[in-house]
Amino acid sequence: MNLYQKLFTVVIGFSLLTACASTNPPNQQLTETQMVIQQAEQLGAEDYAPLEIRDANIKLGLAREAVEDGNYEKAIKLAEHARVDAELAQIKAQSGKAKKEVAELRESIRVLKAEIERNQNAD
Amino acid sequence: MNTLQLFYSINLPKPRFTIFLPLLILLVGCGGPPANNPLLTSATENYNVAEQDTMVVKYAPVALKEAEESLEISQKLWATKADKSAVDHHAYIAQQKISIAVETAAFNAATSEISRSEVERQQVLLDVRRSEADRSEARAESALLEAKSERALADEARERADQSRQAAMNAEERAKILAQRVNELEARPTDRGLVLTLGDVLFEFGKSAMRSEGTKSMDDLASFLVEYPERKIMIEGFTDTIGSEEFNMELSRNRANSVKSALVSRNISASRIQTIGYGEEFPVATNINEAGRQQNRRVEIIISDQEGNISARIL
Repeated sequence: MNLYQKLFTVVIGFSLLTACASTNPPNQQLTETQMVIQQAEQLGAEDYAPLEIRDANIKLGLAREAVEDGNYEKAIKLAEHARVDAELAQIKAQSGKAKKEVAELRESIRVLKAEIERNQNAD
Repeated sequence: MNTLQLFYSINLPKPRFTIFLPLLILLVGCGGPPANNPLLTSATENYNVAEQDTMVVKYAPVALKEAEESLEISQKLWATKADKSAVDHHAYIAQQKISIAVETAAFNAATSEISRSEVERQQVLLDVRRSEADRSEARAESALLEAKSERALADEARERADQSRQAAMNAEERAKILAQRVNELEARPTDRGLVLTLGDVLFEFGKSAMRSEGTKSMDDLASFLVEYPERKIMIEGFTDTIGSEEFNMELSRNRANSVKSALVSRNISASRIQTIGYGEEFPVATNINEAGRQQNRRVEIIISDQEGNISARIL
């Protein structure tokens, strides 16, 4: 068996396990996803990744509906999507803030250099 | 809203067909299902781009690896003709992981940039301080120069003051010397100026000729007049009341002229000398005894002020 075949076997096995586990509601997964979303929001996802955080919230809401409907498998898939969306929102917020900080630093450096120029040209 | 609709609400990069087509041919050639999965194709393409991005490889290797794993699951499911929603599910996760990898790379790059910029900013801040210091120094230097030139001006003023003081001292000195010389002449200060009285004893009795005793007085007066060329003199002759009035008038006039001659003979210009005889007029003492009369017999020499003025005798 090559590596891909092994991996595939694992995946299939995992899918089967998930199918088995779907007899219980995925409450733990929903809670975790909720936390990831909250963290993203605290990092400023509303400003830096509004689309991603909106999608994450909608999918989490749909996942909860699916749990109420007893469709756990669907709930798990939605929760997984909501989670990657929230993760993307987190990193987008972080990189957005960092980029902003870079711009501010560059502007600050530019202003300081202009000041040096002025000092040298003064008198 | 169902899951499928949600997929299309996510903004995904448009597939580029230059890459998309050969990939499609390859997939078809491998004997996979003829109908391609757009989400998987797009995710695969984006993954290939991300994998070629050295920034992503350098800064987000973990996220990239997770993306690869999700993508492989999706591809396996697609290859085994699994349910479309299962393929889509993993393709979507793969796609989001790729985006996470790209954003992580951007975040890490920005963080590095922040560190570098902080260092640069500190350096520039130092440069600013230095340039401010340089500027202050330049200002101090120009202030110093200004102060120096002010000091030079002050020195000049002081020098002028010294000169003035020197001049004043010289004037004072001259005045002192004058006073000394006047003293030597035995001249006395009066309302009309310095007055030098030559007594009767310096003249021959009843005559205008000067005795030799008058020589020193004449020498002193002549040297005084040489020394103070701006000064002029008025020579006035007086007698007592002995003898006729006409004689006395004549005698007083002649004695005054005698003094003038003595000075002219000592190289004093005649133009600086006025003479007048008053005869018996203006006695300074009584004429009823010899002592008084002797005082009245006299020649007075009035020395002018610096401008050569002599106030007239009030009759």
